[in-house]
Formats: sequence, C-alpha cells, structure tokens
Amino acid sequence: MNLKKLQNIDKRILYILLAIVIVTPLFVRPSKHPDAVFDEVQNAFNTIDNMPDDKVAFVSIVWGPGTIAENRPQTEVLMRHLFMKHKKFVVLSWDMPGTKLSYDVGKALEEELGMEYGKDWCHLGYRPAYVAMISRAMGEDFQKQFAEDYNNKPLKEMPLPAKIKSAKDIGIVIDITPSATMGTWLAYFCGPYNVPIVTCPTAVMSAEAYPYLDSGQVSGMLNGVIGASMYETLIGRGNTRTEAAATAWSLSCAHIYIILLIVLGNIGYIAAGKKAKR
Amino acid sequence: MHTLFAPKHGVELWLYIAGSLVIGAGLLLLLCQTPQRLRKPVIAFVTFLGGLYFTLEFLIPHDNYFTHVMPEVVNAEIVVSCFTLFIGIYNLFGVHGRAIRRKQPGWYNSVAFFAAFFLIASAGFIKDMRPDSAATPLFEILFNGFMNSLQSTTFSLIAFYIVSAAYRAFRIRNSESVLMMITAMIIMLGLVPLGSALTSFIPANSFFSFLRLEKLSYFILLLPNMAVQRAIAFGVGVGSMAMGLRIWLSLERGSFFDEEL
Repeated sequence: MNLKKLQNIDKRILYILLAIVIVTPLFVRPSKHPDAVFDEVQNAFNTIDNMPDDKVAFVSIVWGPGTIAENRPQTEVLMRHLFMKHKKFVVLSWDMPGTKLSYDVGKALEEELGMEYGKDWCHLGYRPAYVAMISRAMGEDFQKQFAEDYNNKPLKEMPLPAKIKSAKDIGIVIDITPSATMGTWLAYFCGPYNVPIVTCPTAVMSAEAYPYLDSGQVSGMLNGVIGASMYETLIGRGNTRTEAAATAWSLSCAHIYIILLIVLGNIGYIAAGKKAKR
Repeated sequence: MHTLFAPKHGVELWLYIAGSLVIGAGLLLLLCQTPQRLRKPVIAFVTFLGGLYFTLEFLIPHDNYFTHVMPEVVNAEIVVSCFTLFIGIYNLFGVHGRAIRRKQPGWYNSVAFFAAFFLIASAGFIKDMRPDSAATPLFEILFNGFMNSLQSTTFSLIAFYIVSAAYRAFRIRNSESVLMMITAMIIMLGLVPLGSALTSFIPANSFFSFLRLEKLSYFILLLPNMAVQRAIAFGVGVGSMAMGLRIWLSLERGSFFDEEL
C-alpha cells in the first residue's frame, strides 16, 4: 500500500465523512451523558442552586442562530434548573434573532413544567448598547431601563419584573454567549454590585474564562455543549435523550475524526519523507 | 426627561420615530454642510464630551449626579446606535441596487436580498401590529425556516474548513509542531466524553490517574493556558486603555479617521 497517498485524501471524501460523523448522533440521539462532571460545571450548579429565593436570576442572551448548537442547550438546561428549583428569572437578549430563540426556549419549558409567565419568569426583549446598559443604567434603576417586556406589556403589570428595583434584587447573572462578554459583566456590573456570575461560552471561548474562575470572580462555567450535557446529569436528566447529549456525542465523534485525519496525514507525510530520502 | 424616554405606543410612537429621524437627518445634513476645517473639531468635541461623561461617572465616587442621569444617557445612546442600522441598510441598498442596475454577475442574488428584506420586514411589522393576522405564521416560517437555518448553515461551514485545514496543515515538521499537536490532541480528546473514555481504564484514585486524558487536559487548561491568558489579558487591557484614550482625544489616525466626510 502506498502510504504516501494518505496525505492527499480527496477533499470531497473528507467532507462527506465529516457530515456522516456529525449527523449520525443527532439522528440516533443517544441518552448517555458524560460520566465525569467538571468542577466549573458543578460550581455553576451550586451557585444557581444556592441563590436566595427572594432574589431574581438575570439571564443574559448574546447568542443567535450561528451558535445555536452550543448555546441553546445551555439556555435550555439552565432555565429548566431554575424552573425546577422555583427560582425566578428574567431574560434579556443583546442579539436580535437570539431574542425570539430564547423566548421560544422559555415558552416551551413554561408549558412543559406548568409555570406562569410574568410570575416565574419574564423576557425583557432585545436591547442594543450592551456596555452602556450594563454599566450602571441597569443596576441603578431597573424599572426606568426596562419599562416593557418582550410582548410590549408594562413590567409594572407583572408581579416578577415589577419587584426588581436595582442590582440589589439580582441574585446571579447567567451570561450565555458565543463571545467574550463575561469581562464586561465583571467590570461594570458583577464587580461593582457584588453579584455572582456564571458564564456559558461556546467551547472555543471557554479557555479565556479559566483565569477568572481561578480568581473566584466567575462562580462557574458551562463550557460549550459538553458543559450543558454535564449540567443535565446534575439536574437528574443523565439518562434522557436530549439535544445537549446528542450534540455532545456529535462533537465527540467530530473531534476523534479530526484526530484520525491528522494522524493519517502525518503517516503519509512521514512515508513521503522516507521515500524522498531514499 | 423621563417622560421623553418612556415607552410610546400607536400614533405617538410613529410620531416619535419620525421626529427622531427628522432631527437626526437634519443634524447629519448640518454636519455635512459644515466647512471641512470645522467639521473635525465639531466631531472631536462631541466625542470628547461623550467620553468625559463616562469618565467622570466612573471616577467620581458612586451615586453622583452623573449616575442618576445614566438611564437617560443609555436611552440616548440606543437611539444613536439605531442610526447605524439605517447606515447599514443604506449601504446594502446601494451595493445591491447597483448590482441589479448594471446587471453585474450574480445580480439575481441582489434581487433575492431585496425580496427577503422587504418580506421579513413587512411580516415583522404587521405581526407586531396585528398578532392574529396571517403575517404571524409567515414570520415564523421566514424566521425559523429561512433566517435561522441559513445563519446556522453558514456558521457550520467552519467545521468543514477546520477539518480540511487540520488535515493538510498539521504536519510534524519540527519539535514545536509536535508539541502543539500533542497538546491539541490531549485537549480535544480530554474535553469530550468519548475521548476521556479512552483512558477510563486507569483507576481514578490510583497513582497513575494523572495520565487520564481529562486530567491531562485540565492540567494544560489550568496551568500553561491560564498563564498565557493572563498575559494576553494584561496586554489587551493596556492596549485598550491606550486605544480608548486616543479615540476619546481624537488622536487616532488611519483610514477611518483621516478621510474627509
């Protein structure tokens, strides 16, 4: 066999195999979740679980359709946990398409778990001017900043958002994001008002969060969809066929496929080198 | 001031939008009519005032006068940032309109742009005004069926590029590339369940448990990675401060700042 050819496999074959590797777990939808749970995921769970009942969690949505595969399972599992523990939460989106996507996730869970909109949770809709909004405006006078919800209903008419006056009423910030927005929250809101933060970045961005986890500025993290599937184990859904588990399997298979290709490419490269020397 | 920024509905809302547009367009027009030698100082002065507000608000101890007007300032910033949306639309219309007029190659893509733009915009507006109309299911189809799927598809193409690039570029040419490849493999395998299962035969409490892939990847993330991330954060922080000062004081030079309006 000519090993040299291994470094020049046809691109079309690589792509078709990749599509098969990624799509198969999404169709099979295995229920098996990761056995191990990372410390940062466990810490995120504990922080949310221990949030005082009289406070409200603030779920910040920065994701859109581009990173839906990782960020939607994170949103879904965190909202589910908050509903299950009867922790109240409000959602705000900084991404236009993400507004509707996150609202749909909340609505589906609300119906599934028999919760009530306006009492157990509320969606504040979309807002631009991310940094300015976080820096003081939201923390100083919440009602002035958010007069209406996603459906243009005044916040004063709903029991949950009506009681949020300032940062003092917010028990935790959950930042679900494809980019490095955690730093903004830390600098302008969580640091000055002493509010804990749990960050949920895509896997590729998670490496940036480790210094903040180490210093204790960030309480916990769900690193990508793997973090979401580990979190599902913690809330007792470890043997359920979920989007997070299927995507985690898909990602696992894709990683192993890429490593196999790198190994094959290098075998071909070494073989070609030896041949050239001869 | 609060009344000015309070939510508006119906005709009042449209009047406010029209008023903001007229004032904004008027200001822009006025700026364009200003002699060139005066234009830059005007922009620099407004930039300086904007930066000064936020600087004072943060530097003066908490709960000062500037803190109390922050919600209004943020609302004003939202209005200004919405104008950038119009500039974006204006640009898109210009580029695609020109492509259709001149029948440039792929001009039909520009027709698709205009069709999609007007369809989803009108469906969105009608849905908001009349939620019970046929525009609501139409918007759902356009949003979930088209926009959502198209954006996800575009982003997912990265997977194919990564596979192709990793396969062709990751060659063990020297010791550095070997080190990089081993590190990448440990991280890639250690962070996914299937990868860490490869070394699950090593007992978790034994002396050799540090050889488990998830532990090795954690070691890399928590020590070498963290040191590098901290170094980058310091560098970026100092750079951001310098950049911020340059923009605030209008000292920045380059294609965006030197070209005349």
